[in-house]
Amino acid sequence: MNNLKPGREVVVAGVGLHPFGRFRDKPLASLALDSVVAALKDAAVAWKDIQVAYFGHVYYEGMSFGETSLSKLGLTGIPIINVENACSSGSTAFWQAYWGISSGVFDIALAFGAEKVPGGPVSVTSEDSPDRYIGGDHMMAGYALRSRRYMEDTGATPASLAQVTVKARQNASLNPYAHRKDTYSVEEVLNSRMIADPLTLFQCCPTSEGAAAAILCAKEALTSYNIDRKRSINVVAAALTSGNYNGHGSDHSAFSPYRTEPAALQAYEMSGIDPKDVDLVQVHDAATIGELQQLEALHLIPYGEAWSATIEGRTSLTGDIPTNTDGGLLAMGHPFGATGVRMIHETVTQLRDEAGDRQIPDARVGLAECSGAGDVTTVHILTK
Amino acid sequence: MSSSIDETRLNISNAEEPQGELVGFKCNDCDVVVFGPAKFCQSCTSDNLTSITFGSVGSLYSYTEVKVPPHGWPGEVPYILAEVELPEGPHVLAELINIQHEDIQIGMTLNLALIPVEYGSTGSTKIVYKWSPAQLSD
Repeated sequence: MNNLKPGREVVVAGVGLHPFGRFRDKPLASLALDSVVAALKDAAVAWKDIQVAYFGHVYYEGMSFGETSLSKLGLTGIPIINVENACSSGSTAFWQAYWGISSGVFDIALAFGAEKVPGGPVSVTSEDSPDRYIGGDHMMAGYALRSRRYMEDTGATPASLAQVTVKARQNASLNPYAHRKDTYSVEEVLNSRMIADPLTLFQCCPTSEGAAAAILCAKEALTSYNIDRKRSINVVAAALTSGNYNGHGSDHSAFSPYRTEPAALQAYEMSGIDPKDVDLVQVHDAATIGELQQLEALHLIPYGEAWSATIEGRTSLTGDIPTNTDGGLLAMGHPFGATGVRMIHETVTQLRDEAGDRQIPDARVGLAECSGAGDVTTVHILTK
Repeated sequence: MSSSIDETRLNISNAEEPQGELVGFKCNDCDVVVFGPAKFCQSCTSDNLTSITFGSVGSLYSYTEVKVPPHGWPGEVPYILAEVELPEGPHVLAELINIQHEDIQIGMTLNLALIPVEYGSTGSTKIVYKWSPAQLSD
């Protein structure tokens, strides 16, 4: 395990979000720019103050896309870095911004992500890869394999998986930025089109379009930028891991559902925060099973109990482990580069007590976990 | 003459039958076994590896009936995708054939099946590995 040695204290000074959904007539750069402008406005800092920018995205949109997007704000000459780390691209951009400031290189940074993900099943390999003929490279089929095995090992029922979606949709119905705001019953989720059994369509996240941005600042530099200290949110842990050997081969990331654990343990150690102190959590629920297994890997719920905890309502807005409070990937949708920063947006909004109808009362500690192909995992912990 | 869909994972010894076996590596330093290509041990990073061949049986770890296939899937839809644990440790994903959905049970023994599959749009075929219930070949 890495020995993470934070230097200077880092805060999130502002967040911005472009709604998630389908915006066919709006270029990706415009989505990205809208989220960045919103974040700058939220932090009440000027673009010319930003010292470095990290941009998370996956699908090819032309070279140096972060630079071309931000050039519309003015050519300030700062380092702009494009980050591709699969579904964790946005959270990796945030992680880099954190360490860039914590290490003392920069005082104020932008982390943002944007994506337009095409519809249909998502694969990791190229279309002429042998895996397309072998049949195994299918993201939701991988999640389905995990689901079947989890049900076999823990006694989880199809209804308990479906309840994850029911809860996500309820949360999203209170979130104007969500891609899917209509609510469903367990039966409606189970009766939606089968993708890869036991996962039905409503248990798989939509592939969406969207953008999210965050402004990070050194705590000691807040006054020099006239940033409102009371609305700034502390980043107390920033952990990122890639694949750990698990003995089961590496040709599909679905083989290692508990790969989150090393990053989680690093984040808890770095922050001194215990899992029981976490007031709300955003996890990578690309499919319903993802949320259940991530909650267990994060040590928030004992192994094999997340499905029953979900049925008991413990992960709902009124439960003791409110999870994916904005609707998560299942209802927000999953524009790869934006998702990790979107989780930061929701965590900050909750910790600021600005989440409106979906507000978790007295929220002081929020955790955001994002996973990506290549076994990338990020875990960030934020405090009021 | 058909060739292997991926020679780093499937070695074809007789393309007519067809016959062959899954291949991988064993680390001489830490004994970890991997399926498929390796130059360095995934566990201990050693480059002291020996190439190995796997037996033709495994046990079903998990499965799913895929109704919406990935782009480029050349086979029937729906199809059963199986995650199979080899006795040597690694898990291998491939299609499960010659079985009814209701007869599938986690833990059941499966046999490797080598099937020629039409490859690309050129009319050529490649030999793909799949899983099949045990004792069908006799």
